[in-house]
Amino acid sequence: MTNLPLWLIPLFPLVATLLLGTIAVVSSGSKKGPAEGIVGGLAVIFPAMSFAVVAILAFGMPEAGIRETLCNWIDIPLFRADIGFLFDGLSRIMLLFVTGIGTLIAMYSIGYMHGDRGFARFFAYINLFLFSMIVLVLSDSLLLTFLGWEGVGLCSYLLIGFWNKDLANCKAANKAFIVNRVGDIGFLLGMLCLVTVGGSGILNYDALVAFVGMIVNGGHVDLVLPVLSLTCILFFIGCTGKSAQIPLLTWLPDAMAGPTPVSALIHAATMVTSGVYLVARLSSLFVICPDVLNVVLVVGALTAFWAAFAGLFQNDIKKVLAYSTISQLGYMFMAAGVSAFDASIFHVFTHAFFKASLFLGAGAVIHALGGEQDMRKMGGLIKKTPVTACVMIFAFFAIIGFPGFAGFWSKDLILEHIYTDCNWVFTGTWLADGAVPMNKIFYVVGLFTAVVTAVYMGRLIIMTFFGSYRGSKESEAHIHEAPAVMLIPMIVLTFGSVFGGYLWADSIGITFFRDSLASVLGAAEAFDPAVRLSPEIFLDEFVPRTGAHVNPVIFAALGTAAALLGMFIAWKGWGKARIPEIPKGASSAPEGYAAGWTFLWDYVHGFFVKCVFVAAWICDMVVDKILQAVQWTVGAIVTILGDGATVFQVRKVRLQVAFSILGVAALVLVVLLTGGIV
Amino acid sequence: MELQPVYIQVLALAIFAIGLLTAISRRNLFFVLMGVELALNAVNLSFIGFAKTLPAEQSVAGQIVPLFSIAVAAAEACVGFAMVIMLFRKKESVDSDNYSNMKG
Repeated sequence: MTNLPLWLIPLFPLVATLLLGTIAVVSSGSKKGPAEGIVGGLAVIFPAMSFAVVAILAFGMPEAGIRETLCNWIDIPLFRADIGFLFDGLSRIMLLFVTGIGTLIAMYSIGYMHGDRGFARFFAYINLFLFSMIVLVLSDSLLLTFLGWEGVGLCSYLLIGFWNKDLANCKAANKAFIVNRVGDIGFLLGMLCLVTVGGSGILNYDALVAFVGMIVNGGHVDLVLPVLSLTCILFFIGCTGKSAQIPLLTWLPDAMAGPTPVSALIHAATMVTSGVYLVARLSSLFVICPDVLNVVLVVGALTAFWAAFAGLFQNDIKKVLAYSTISQLGYMFMAAGVSAFDASIFHVFTHAFFKASLFLGAGAVIHALGGEQDMRKMGGLIKKTPVTACVMIFAFFAIIGFPGFAGFWSKDLILEHIYTDCNWVFTGTWLADGAVPMNKIFYVVGLFTAVVTAVYMGRLIIMTFFGSYRGSKESEAHIHEAPAVMLIPMIVLTFGSVFGGYLWADSIGITFFRDSLASVLGAAEAFDPAVRLSPEIFLDEFVPRTGAHVNPVIFAALGTAAALLGMFIAWKGWGKARIPEIPKGASSAPEGYAAGWTFLWDYVHGFFVKCVFVAAWICDMVVDKILQAVQWTVGAIVTILGDGATVFQVRKVRLQVAFSILGVAALVLVVLLTGGIV
Repeated sequence: MELQPVYIQVLALAIFAIGLLTAISRRNLFFVLMGVELALNAVNLSFIGFAKTLPAEQSVAGQIVPLFSIAVAAAEACVGFAMVIMLFRKKESVDSDNYSNMKG
């Protein structure tokens, strides 16, 4: 069974896209639209078949992975690229949850999008989204990954602006698209850097690992380090765009304008995970550039911390979840920053489950309330929608890292790795005379963020499900539990968010997840300067790893304490608090200092946009005005000269011939006299 | 006394000058064409004259080029006279001064 071709995996969503797209176009004239049963069935079956293929391949996969080259793509002098697929430990994990959660979300959407006019169009986009993500993850070279990367960006644009009758949605879609383009430039330039260093061949992942291995074993790291550092930084800029890190994160909260299943898809299975995936895929490259890893660590920590606080200030239930995603992605990049790529992928994996549950739960709440997203108008929903409430509460326990739930294992793993693996020290700064071990600082930041996470998630749960209902009386009567087609995916995902963590439970000795990734990320470990260099050389630049000295139980205990403290604060702060009545039609956007914090990076972006406007103005003045003036002057002079020259155009043909012969004679004379020829 | 090459060139120059002057000064289109032909043949003569100054094995090029040029001149005369006939049908005149439509 294991000899299924790899191209089947992306094929199914692609076929579904074409089919559903045709249905959407054909039925665009009719009033009623296509039958929802058929469309929904098609939209779920194809990703499900994709998932089945992935599952079959996953169980029979050889240790080294499956490689398959489909055909040649580009073949010109100095550049050659194939369309090839690579199915190994890393892409296996990613594909399993991309297709699996994608299928569940597609199923959920049947209920959520019921009665929408663009039903078929929506599922065509969803399938295209899955197709792009599969191409991104499954490809064996950076170039094909870039194709999927762009496809994901396009689909996010299409889906965020799905309800395109509303201008705000279109603006959000444009924002997502344009901000992502900024990151994509980084990706492109990164590829260019790589090609400059090693030719088009090393865009292939295997060749890249071999290339890095050659450099490391040959001892040429110092020689190419500047270029490789630049490459890594450029790729990381690409990742900040897709994975919504500082500074390119402003698109993600706005992306909440799309339908809720789309948000779930973007945040859980596709899109935002691609940045983390890329860093893990290029781990062998990142790991030999310690300075870049420090940048990744700092960016991740800042993002996690900032977004957690921003989440605290939101009133819109989906915005809270959006900031929480940014914050969790910050954790993943922190893990990548201390070269714990497997921990970062593990958090991607668990996060996919609990964030999908949270979003689908939020979608069910919004569905029940008839489109209301403001948490100040919710409350007491646990009695009306018990299943949704349970799903979200379980996912809540998972995200805050409550012992035993998925997030507990992955988040503690990340915090532990930050403490033990971070070997970055500041020496002799203004902060302190001696060496400042950064691992403790980042550990504290991470732990504090975990507390804030528990606070804002607790606030969300309390405001939504506990207390008394704060909406209008007539809307209260309409509150209903979501249909089964929506509840089933939510419940399945809840199981994932409760038990997903047991694939790598270090404290109880399960390392299945790490072992399955080891064949891919093991190469990076071997290239790690901390492992590669002898301790004597190493000590000059770094602090030694402290791994052996700390009992992992302490990390677990501290993580648990952080979660409990956060829950306690949330209960103290919002458990009993009366939320003031809000006027009708008031925006759910935060105000005052909260708005300042929330939109901080929008302001930063605004500054850069202003700079671009100034540059455009200068270009307008120089190119359009001054250069054009010169151009016009030259043109006018030529016209005047030409008008004068027409005087010589005499009426008689014979005279003209005589003139031209005289002209030739004059030229010959000049040449002869100046000695041009003779 | 052997024929000096310079005399051939002088003769060619004379014929060329006559052809050119004919082409410029005569108003009749037929005479213009005849003048052009004359100038062309003067150049052929010049080629032959210079070919004579070279050793035998190198002079071949100078003798072949006039053959090509004669062939081209024949074609040109063909086309030229056809054009003159067409022009005559159009304007009932062979006076070149009547054809000045292209004046800028």
